[in-house]
Amino acid sequence: MTKIPQPGAATLVVVVLVTTLLLRLFQEMIWLVLPLLLALLLFYTLRPVVDALAVRGMHRETAAKAVCLFQLVVSAILLVLALIFLSRTGGSQDSLTRYLAGGQGLLRKTAQALERVAPLAKNLHLEESLDDQHVKEFGDKFVEKNLLPISLQLLGWMPSVLLVPYITYFMLTQSGRFRKYLIQSVPNAFFERALLLFSHLDTSLQSYFQGLMVLTFLEGTCLAVGLALVGMPHALLLGVTAAFLAWVPYLGSIVGCVMVVLVAATDFPDKPWMAYACLGLFLAVRMLDDFVFMPMTVGRQLHVHPLLSVLMLFLGAAVAGATGLLFALPLFGVMAVIGETTAQIVTDQRLRARYRASRQLAAATGG
Amino acid sequence: MVEALKSIPIFHTLNRKEIREVEELLYERVYEKDEVVFEEGDAGHGVFIVVSGRFRVNPSHGSLKSVNLEVGPGESVGELALFDEGPRSATVVASERTVAVALFQAEFATLLMKNKSIGVKVLLEIGRILSRRARQLLQDEKHAPTL
Repeated sequence: MTKIPQPGAATLVVVVLVTTLLLRLFQEMIWLVLPLLLALLLFYTLRPVVDALAVRGMHRETAAKAVCLFQLVVSAILLVLALIFLSRTGGSQDSLTRYLAGGQGLLRKTAQALERVAPLAKNLHLEESLDDQHVKEFGDKFVEKNLLPISLQLLGWMPSVLLVPYITYFMLTQSGRFRKYLIQSVPNAFFERALLLFSHLDTSLQSYFQGLMVLTFLEGTCLAVGLALVGMPHALLLGVTAAFLAWVPYLGSIVGCVMVVLVAATDFPDKPWMAYACLGLFLAVRMLDDFVFMPMTVGRQLHVHPLLSVLMLFLGAAVAGATGLLFALPLFGVMAVIGETTAQIVTDQRLRARYRASRQLAAATGG
Repeated sequence: MVEALKSIPIFHTLNRKEIREVEELLYERVYEKDEVVFEEGDAGHGVFIVVSGRFRVNPSHGSLKSVNLEVGPGESVGELALFDEGPRSATVVASERTVAVALFQAEFATLLMKNKSIGVKVLLEIGRILSRRARQLLQDEKHAPTL
């Protein structure tokens, strides 16, 4: 397997600029980008299964249908389970206020403990600032300003999300033909380079998405096992949800951690150590994630320098908010491969001369 | 296309189902007379198999000049690129309007991993072609070692 090319300085600047512009565009078209991304994720996750079935003699389309159907059934079961769980936890506004009150209780106990240990903390009047009215108002405003619009936006995405299984099936059965169709339009002079580009893109995306799934599995397992050991209820659900939330770099992990700590503080108001243990667990898994899991999976596959990763995340967040955070790294990885291969083609005098000669020959023969 | 592929020596031992799997990975290209397919020194990324027409091989290396310089239907050029991405050892030009199919190295490697039966059959045929070419080369050497 060839080494994936790394962009030069000038190409890098262009790649960063194009990635930033695309992130902005993605934010505007998130209703279209999200199902495509989910379909790509499913495609790269399910493709090895379809390949394995095809090698064992099953027709490729039948194998793709069987795998997509299985995935649909699993998704439907998970959706029903999630709806049952949500209906048991009560209304969204009530739940939010309850969990916020739990979090407030934890903060109050922490402030009291701090004031006992460090008298200087008394001067900050931490405990007094945590009054119930503030929490109630914050909960009401949060629901009104954020939760309702987000819920409405999610409902608006539903029709396009329903396309995900269809797009995945199309990708699983037609990706080869689609690639052939695209390659057909490439002139003979650039044919091998174009194939190389497709191969690099495929390798990058496959590595990224498969790495992401492995990372999610590892993180979800660690969190679920850790939460179960601590004694948290619904450890598996909380762990898996937090692992999926971590797909949004940094922000997702914080949201996941806050969610679990709030649940611990609310369900165990007399055991603040449970919330601290959850916090400690998240910090430990974060460290494992950054120094062991991530380099083993996504980071190693994406070939993006850590400094550049952080820069792209900042740029992504600045131009496209949460969408930018979510897409910055995979998009940058893909654009880096396209940018470098295109730069190689554009600067290769021999290829360009061959292309001009081919055009002259085609013109002479009337092709 | 299946019948055309079946008549190509590299694929003639494959059954119809296997041929269809390989066909998914082949890219058909049409070259006009005198059009360059690849040049000596280019990084090689795949093998080209002639379906109709002819390719002319123009090596600059002395010992390669004695090799059969024309390849016709069923024959192939650039097989070494399936095994490494070293520079092409000769320039290949279409002698007439030629239809060829290309098998790309990375996809060939994936096929070998996915379907070992196809891999063994195709590799054996490519091995035979390379061995025949090596013998042909050595026939013209004064002190040819036995292969």
